[in-house]
Amino acid sequence: MTTATPCEPLIRLRSAAFGYGARRVVSGIDLEIAPGRFLGIVGPNGSGKTTLFRGLLGLVPPLEGSCARTGRAVIGYVPQRESLDASFPLTVREVVEMGTYQRLGRLRRPAAEDLALVDEWIERVGLAPQRTRPFAELSGGQRQRALLARALVTRPDVLLLDEPTSGVDRGAQEQILALLSELHRGGLAILLVSHQLSLVRRFVEEVLVVADGRVQQGTPVELLTPERLELLFGAGAGGD
Amino acid sequence: MEFSWLERLSLFRFALLASFTAGLVCPLVGAFLWLRRTSFYGITLPQFSAAGVVLGYVCLPWWITTIGLGGLSLDEALGDPHTIMNYLLAWAALACLAGLAALVWLGRRGRGSETGRVAAAFALATAATYVFGRLSPVGQSHVEELLHGEVLGVGSHECETIVFVLLLVLALLLLFRRELALVSFDPEFARVLQKRVLALEVLLHCLCTLTVAAGTIIVGPTMLFGLLVLPPLAARPFARSMGAFLALSSGAGLLAALLGTTLSFQADLPLGAAIVASAGLTLLPAALRRASA
Repeated sequence: MTTATPCEPLIRLRSAAFGYGARRVVSGIDLEIAPGRFLGIVGPNGSGKTTLFRGLLGLVPPLEGSCARTGRAVIGYVPQRESLDASFPLTVREVVEMGTYQRLGRLRRPAAEDLALVDEWIERVGLAPQRTRPFAELSGGQRQRALLARALVTRPDVLLLDEPTSGVDRGAQEQILALLSELHRGGLAILLVSHQLSLVRRFVEEVLVVADGRVQQGTPVELLTPERLELLFGAGAGGD
Repeated sequence: MEFSWLERLSLFRFALLASFTAGLVCPLVGAFLWLRRTSFYGITLPQFSAAGVVLGYVCLPWWITTIGLGGLSLDEALGDPHTIMNYLLAWAALACLAGLAALVWLGRRGRGSETGRVAAAFALATAATYVFGRLSPVGQSHVEELLHGEVLGVGSHECETIVFVLLLVLALLLLFRRELALVSFDPEFARVLQKRVLALEVLLHCLCTLTVAAGTIIVGPTMLFGLLVLPPLAARPFARSMGAFLALSSGAGLLAALLGTTLSFQADLPLGAAIVASAGLTLLPAALRRASA
């Protein structure tokens, strides 16, 4: 876990711009993710929210400005499950165990307490009966929970999720969101990208709206008004 | 003159040890190639290595007069198994690494289809092998042996070399198997964990290069790519975990070595080809399982 003080931000962007090659996709970003915050990133397709998200993860270096993690803040990352090759012969336990690989011990093996943590999180996300099943045989919602458990095994200070409820049935969505709420109440900072605005309105405390290469920050009440949503997404964009 | 089984095992002990070691380790490297959807590299890279070896023979007279090879003359070098083996191993490894780097680089640029690139590379490397072979002023018999892959001709020095190299590859694969699986399955998650993804990729490519270089020279390209490609294909339908996939791949390779040896001794067939044919037989259960699914 981080050595940052309670008020010190975990990730700080200062006049940051992100893009690919010489092309800026988003710019002029000043953002601090403090411990315990719950943020959502929304925006139309092609607005740059994924680029911003990848910049926060450290996968894309800033073209301008700075993007820094405080101390040794640990980022837990939950990718979109479609980005993973389901033909890999991995069990649920093997996938979740990957979250321990930043702390491998002697002979590059996870320590006993880390293996216990793996089992604990598999239990908490409700996948204990599926622990030895191949990851490829799980439903969409189950895979998402396995990836969430993998991220939580890293003992993160901040959890970044990319469309965590995309393509998942209603029941599984509620399970995932309930778990995220519980984690947030426990003090974990969470940032998620989502196109499901009803989810964003219900759960997040602050919203980052990405549009035309710029980022606006505020509460869902301030920024997700019907008028703004129509401007961003077109007519009928008030719900999901 | 008929030899008993025991006599044959004794007579060909170095060839058998080399074959069984290859049967144990090559499928593990092939398993990682399969996971990364680069199985065809297992067919093409041995051809690059073979071309490298033959190019080494072409350059040998020049190398001895210009750079030197332990102070030996050309005839002395050709007659010294240690020196010539190490020299050719370096050429095989360099050619394999160059081919691998080219395939990876072209793959990242995303131009054309992967299958097309690998097929073209295989054709070019094979043609280069034969062209260099015709140009080589020395070692014609060695070149022909290489191209035919006469495993039974493996002597003590070749056996020592391939066993050492492959056991080193095995040790490193087992030690880093978790991280290699991670960077193959989810490289972005590995980067977020601040793992040294590039170093791990380089490690895997180096292990592949060592396996292919030593295997090409000592057991021949045919047996090598048979053991890289076929056992993981045989194992995959039965493997429900990464550990099982690696163990079953290696097991299928050992089974192929055992069956191939039996077939070779019983029917007086070339050992390398018999092992590859046996590896093909191990695909039958996989095919039956897929058909019944």
